[in-house]
Amino acid sequence: MKTKKRKFIVLEKGSSLLAVSSAVFAVAGLGAVSAQAHGFVGDRFFPPTISTDDPFATDELLFPSVSYFKSAGDPATATIDGGFEFDKEIFPRFALGISGDYLHELPDGGPAATGFDNFSLSAKYQVWQNDAHEAIFSIGGEWEIGGSGSKQVGADSANVFTPMIYFGKGFGDLPGALDYARPFALTGTIGEDLPTSYEPNNLDWGLALEYSLPYLQSQVKDIGLPHPFKDMIPLVEFSMTTPENRGGGQTTGTINPGVLYETKYFQIGAEAIIPLNNATGHDVGAVIQLQIFIDDIFPKVFGHPLFGK
Amino acid sequence: MKTIPLARWALAIVLFLTMPSHAWAHAFLDHADPKVGSTVTHSPAEVKAWFTQELEPVFSSLQVQDANGNEVDKKDAHLDDKDKQLMIVSLPALPPGTYTVIWHAVSVDTHRTQGSFKFTLK
Repeated sequence: MKTKKRKFIVLEKGSSLLAVSSAVFAVAGLGAVSAQAHGFVGDRFFPPTISTDDPFATDELLFPSVSYFKSAGDPATATIDGGFEFDKEIFPRFALGISGDYLHELPDGGPAATGFDNFSLSAKYQVWQNDAHEAIFSIGGEWEIGGSGSKQVGADSANVFTPMIYFGKGFGDLPGALDYARPFALTGTIGEDLPTSYEPNNLDWGLALEYSLPYLQSQVKDIGLPHPFKDMIPLVEFSMTTPENRGGGQTTGTINPGVLYETKYFQIGAEAIIPLNNATGHDVGAVIQLQIFIDDIFPKVFGHPLFGK
Repeated sequence: MKTIPLARWALAIVLFLTMPSHAWAHAFLDHADPKVGSTVTHSPAEVKAWFTQELEPVFSSLQVQDANGNEVDKKDAHLDDKDKQLMIVSLPALPPGTYTVIWHAVSVDTHRTQGSFKFTLK
């Protein structure tokens, strides 16, 4: 399943690039007589998260994602970002994706700029999963296509390759004494930016800690939650970038508390974007995102791999 | 890959915006009797599980196990005649203990889901 990963890279004065966005996603297995789509592992439904990528490779459409965030830098720049992402399972447990962002940048004291950021392609393979322990591990990577975006918004001409690992763990296997902790789940990513120019190598890492109210209600304790609350998943995400060399500076990133709301054919999610430190920004931003479950809307077309079963 | 007619996308978007808030395309457990995680004082004659979607009876199941993992139901899990979102399994008179209800559901659109919950009989 997919998600939008955001990196807030703040460069020194004179650098052309203020912020870079990229993306990815997911898969699912198909039984002989039935389909299992979305992000299921055993009893656990892992929702597509907003700010960090999840470990699933499945057919998904994210459209739109709209965010506002003012990053630090010289000058500080507020960015309104309208993004999309599409993923398709090609072989069982292997998916390819494409994502893009249309940016409207408002630098302090400077003229506004508008245009597409570089587009990104992604690949992901679901290596291992354990249903009983609600655990999953995937590998993959992203390619930010240098020069595919507009120079007006600082889209870099260099390519950036980011090999990544993805993991997810639900805590439904906790002992009975910890019943109310069983709805917790954690997903995460670790990636290494490998730019083809003299930009810093960055360690990208992210976590999403979620508490599934549907899981609480249906698997642990029926506490009588009414709609719409019984279909909500509160979460907090951590999306970080740690430069490793070439004067990249300190770790930047954001902490994003929010909530996801599940319906029959889509998920809508919203998060605040809180800068980790002064090097990231000074103001709280926000993001809202619509995730369309295309496998449920068009089950004959999506929800299964192009090749193989 | 097949192309999707524009009109169908438009219809889908309208459906998104008008969809009832409580529906999942996959069959999830909505509620059950005995309630999920509840404690009851009388041995229930059956377990009823209501799902968010209509189920395919052939590929769906409902089982009750005791604390040792032994199946204690009457192995007659079936869908209700009038409500295809309701699955029922009969129980014999049970001794006090904690029981686990295990379900596997295949919705009519072929998506499969699974889950379990406990109830305690005092």
